Amino acid sequence: MIEVRDLWKSFGPNQVLKGITLTVPKGQTYVVLGGSGSGKTVLLKHVIGLFKPDRGSVTVNGVEISGLTGKALNEARHVFGMVFQGAALFDSMTVFENVAFPIREKQRSVKLEEVRQKVVEKLKVVDLGEEVLERYPSELSGGMRKRVGLARALVSDPQVVLYDEPTTGLDPITTDYVDGMIIAAKQKLAVTSIVISHDIASAFRVADRLAVLYDGHLAAEGTPEEVKASPDPYVQHFLSMWFAKQ
Amino acid sequence: MSRLRAALDDFGQMIFFFFETLAWAVRPPFRLELVLAQMAFIGAGSVFIVGVTGTFTGMVMALQMNYALKQFAAEGYVGGSVAFSLARELAPVFTGLMVTGRAGSAIATELGTMRVTEQIDAMESMAVSPIQYLVVPRVLAAVIMFPMLTMLFNALGAAGSWLMAIGVAGIPEGPYIEHMRGFVDPSDVMHGLYKSLLFGLAVSLITCWRGYAASGGAKGVGEGTTRAVVASSIGILIMDYAMTVLSVGV
Repeated sequence: MIEVRDLWKSFGPNQVLKGITLTVPKGQTYVVLGGSGSGKTVLLKHVIGLFKPDRGSVTVNGVEISGLTGKALNEARHVFGMVFQGAALFDSMTVFENVAFPIREKQRSVKLEEVRQKVVEKLKVVDLGEEVLERYPSELSGGMRKRVGLARALVSDPQVVLYDEPTTGLDPITTDYVDGMIIAAKQKLAVTSIVISHDIASAFRVADRLAVLYDGHLAAEGTPEEVKASPDPYVQHFLSMWFAKQ
Repeated sequence: MSRLRAALDDFGQMIFFFFETLAWAVRPPFRLELVLAQMAFIGAGSVFIVGVTGTFTGMVMALQMNYALKQFAAEGYVGGSVAFSLARELAPVFTGLMVTGRAGSAIATELGTMRVTEQIDAMESMAVSPIQYLVVPRVLAAVIMFPMLTMLFNALGAAGSWLMAIGVAGIPEGPYIEHMRGFVDPSDVMHGLYKSLLFGLAVSLITCWRGYAASGGAKGVGEGTTRAVVASSIGILIMDYAMTVLSVGV
């Protein structure tokens, strides 16, 4: 379970988060919706300890991540996998080296053949074949990079997966595919997920619970139906942009 | 005032970064393969530029010294004075500046790009310390390779000097070698190597820090690289002065 309590964060004079509180139950998918620059990624980076809050706390499976540093923080991060907005693949490494990176670093004694098997298996899950193993990220399309990033996040079988804009910039078919992946990870692997997105259709497809972030606070929070029925004017305006198209 | 405060804040953060690097350097896992790769990049990759600079510096110094010392009929001292200058000053300083331009800028750019494209965040999210994985190998490699490149500069500089002094200026080889031996003590060579070791440490830390702390996309990476090269070059000159003063007094 992930608990965020009264989280505040500013960068210089810019107050980005203003007392965020939310709970993600174990095995569920929690989507944080919001416009560009609303602080969604900042919130996500607090969950994995990449940012330290000015005030408040983040607790993951009973461990207060926000209070940890150095080796203890690294230990705590072993439960996570993270998919970055731009995939964040290491551009000096091949696809194989990228996906194998978490296994090789966490379990340095694992044999190369075992690592290779696991990498191929995870790439297969994201619909990529062995032909991409020796390619560099610069030789892949945006969608392929995103899928490799997803494979890398899942390769060490994490308990918690954090998705930062997983469907941004993808075509509708690949978006649908990625949504399916997030749902499958929850159903088959009992993974707890936090998805940061501004893709409303995708959010309502994958979410067990949903929140709308606006001006540093949660304008609405609850099940997808509860959020849809929220009386908050910003939430209604934000959601109407998509529902009006349907 | 605010700029001074920002500069001091930045310097403080770099000092903290230095101690963090030291702490991660002695913690397992030790990634020898990454150190070797960086030694190849910083060291082997700089052999050509350092070699060319060393050879031409030695050649030019020999001609200049010959021109000056001829006034006093002391051409025999060309070899000694060139070798002395190379060992204590020219080799460590020129090597430091050349490697800063070639490898230091590349380090700042690479780490800066990794920072702004979230590759460093990705590494951290996978429970791998970017300082241990990216910074420590570069710092260790620089500390090892800067003195080696300085020795290469010394050797090729001496060879270039010999070529010009004996082959072009017609200085007799006997006095040339004799005065070189008499002038240059092993402690002079060591003095230059200590300097280069310190330059390697400073250049690698400054360039890694500038890349590591980059922000704001391509522009930020470019600015970070420029600042890294400028700060490293000025740092080399200041440290050179300080070590010379400590060694021989004012």
